[in-house]
Amino acid sequence: MSTVILDPKHAPPFRDAVLPVLRNPMLRKNVAHATQVIQSKRAKLLAEKADWQELRAAASAIRTHVIENLGAYLEQFEERCTAAGGVVHWASNADEARAIILDLLRQENATEAIKIKTMTSAEIQLNPYLEKAGVKAHETDLAEIILQLGKEEPSHIVVPALHINRSQVREIFSRTMHLKDLSDDPKALTAAARHYLREKFLRVPTAISGANFLIAETGSVAIVESEGNGRMCLTLPRTMITIVGVEKVLPRFQDLEVMLQILARSATGERMNPYTSLWTGVTQGDGPQRFHVVLLDNERTSILARPKERQTLRCIRCAACMNHCPVYRQTGGHAYGSCYPGPIGAILTPQLMRMEHAQTLPFASSLCGACFEVCPVKIDIPAVLLDLRADVVKIERKQMKRAFDLMYVGLRVANALFSRPWIFHTTQWFGRIGLGVFTDKDGWIKWLPSIGGRWTQNRDLRGLPKQTFHEWWAERAKGTK
Amino acid sequence: MNGPVQSRQRILGRICTATQAVAAPAGHLDEAYVAVARTYVRKGKLTRETCLELLIERLREYDAEVVVASPDELPAAIADQLATTGKRVFAAPAGLPKQWLAPGFDWKIDHQLSSADIELTEGVVTAASCAVADSGTIVLHHSPAEGRRVISLLPDWHLCIVRASQVVETLPEYFDRFPKAPALITWISGPSATADIEMTRIKGVHGPRFLHVIIVRDEGTPPIQRALTSAVLAR
Repeated sequence: MSTVILDPKHAPPFRDAVLPVLRNPMLRKNVAHATQVIQSKRAKLLAEKADWQELRAAASAIRTHVIENLGAYLEQFEERCTAAGGVVHWASNADEARAIILDLLRQENATEAIKIKTMTSAEIQLNPYLEKAGVKAHETDLAEIILQLGKEEPSHIVVPALHINRSQVREIFSRTMHLKDLSDDPKALTAAARHYLREKFLRVPTAISGANFLIAETGSVAIVESEGNGRMCLTLPRTMITIVGVEKVLPRFQDLEVMLQILARSATGERMNPYTSLWTGVTQGDGPQRFHVVLLDNERTSILARPKERQTLRCIRCAACMNHCPVYRQTGGHAYGSCYPGPIGAILTPQLMRMEHAQTLPFASSLCGACFEVCPVKIDIPAVLLDLRADVVKIERKQMKRAFDLMYVGLRVANALFSRPWIFHTTQWFGRIGLGVFTDKDGWIKWLPSIGGRWTQNRDLRGLPKQTFHEWWAERAKGTK
Repeated sequence: MNGPVQSRQRILGRICTATQAVAAPAGHLDEAYVAVARTYVRKGKLTRETCLELLIERLREYDAEVVVASPDELPAAIADQLATTGKRVFAAPAGLPKQWLAPGFDWKIDHQLSSADIELTEGVVTAASCAVADSGTIVLHHSPAEGRRVISLLPDWHLCIVRASQVVETLPEYFDRFPKAPALITWISGPSATADIEMTRIKGVHGPRFLHVIIVRDEGTPPIQRALTSAVLAR
């Protein structure tokens, strides 16, 4: 069972949360392998797509236009979806969203629900809430079912179980599905999941989904998937409940011609994902006859109010940023302490928490810009990270603890040292003696006490040289060398 | 906690305040929308023949089986495909052309069949609305000949009949052909698949594990080029 905490309110700071991962070679290998495979598949497909940059530009412009006119498009969606037989609900926060969903499930006398993978439901921590209220939510995406049965947490937004390898999946399935002779061949594991879920698809009459896109023009909902579990959930049950962030709307049906071209290529390195479904309200004789959409705010409107951060809402959740992030590729997703990991998580999570939690995440980046370069909707993640870092500093500046925080005290001391040469030289002299104790024969410092340990816990430090540049220069001038 | 009506007003109010400086003025939303630059490729440049070849190649890359037939050959081609499965019980949408129901098989016509009944069938034959060569995508609009969504979902084997005149090269061409969205659409690109375990692509999770496609050279497409057809049929 996993001890990972993906609730930003309780998760440890990033720099502490990475430690168990950095010391787990198997997990690092699994993450590196998976991200490498997606990276190379994506690169191959982009090479054949001559108009990729034009598609990116259009996708970015469409998403910007939507976000700037979000109110008008949401009202249009609500009107058209309602006209087509859907029921639209509005939830200001996670509490309201969960209460609305539970209420709908109670109206159905539901004790079980089948689910299509939805990050939004993870964001509002829906499953544990429903479980407590007596409704068992069955995940149906292969990765999600691996996590649910193995009591693990997702570490990626597109392939949430990428940190788990085949033999670990075999162990989870054989234990929970009581299959003693199960092999670790992915084919056999997939077949086991198919068999396990088939009965649930045919029996459970209530489904919960997320949505990739809402279409304002028609009131339709689109879901992009691979396995067909989505089609099962949105076709077989009597009642369908879709939970979706308010930013997921697109103006017109035709905008899918851009989004569907960039999403699968960015997310999984496929020309197109196996299945994309679009439905509009309720269709008599085909699919669920009761359909609800829960539009979730949960601080999205706070992000919208900040001009520099607003672009965060363009995100279509393709995960290209994490697949290409040198930090994520080393740490995997759990260290981010949120269901949204990687670069997008580093900017999204603190903002969804009103900057009151997850404040170490904006610093969990080298600002190399790989995320911006691959983002299909051109979110300038490094720029937002920098702005959020400034926010964190602004908040901390007001806090009394800052007066005693070793890092801030250290910086003030450094300021004093660097501005007076004689103090600087004296400090260098003491420093050489002091650090000499910790410097190995090879000239590297591998362990430091106290605040110095914050550096050496993840990386080595060069010891101070025997002679400073000033000393060398002075000697040289004297002609002794 | 606030009631649902208050939440709606509160969210829309917050959005209104947040976007005041950037939102298009009332009545000018369409203008702002049209101003979005779209310089990507709309129309493909391939000839009809190469476009069909591309579709076949892309479908095969997804592990779909593809054959080409003339309209006259179609009923025989369908019977052939059904026979290769070794299966006997097939579902069919209510509006499937009668001549496609090959004799010798047990056909379950979907007049609101229950899910349990459909689950007992071993395969399904449907028409399609469109196919996009560039991504190897078949588009179902769930018309009477394409069937309800469930009919092309539960059976393990799906044979889809696409007319050559329904094939477009690029995805934007599909949207040009169908500017008005049907209520239900399913875009299918190969059989159901997953790469959730170690990024190994496994064909067939919950949807049909086998996708077969017959491309019918109907009116408006050039005469069959023997080279292509025989090469395709030989596979």
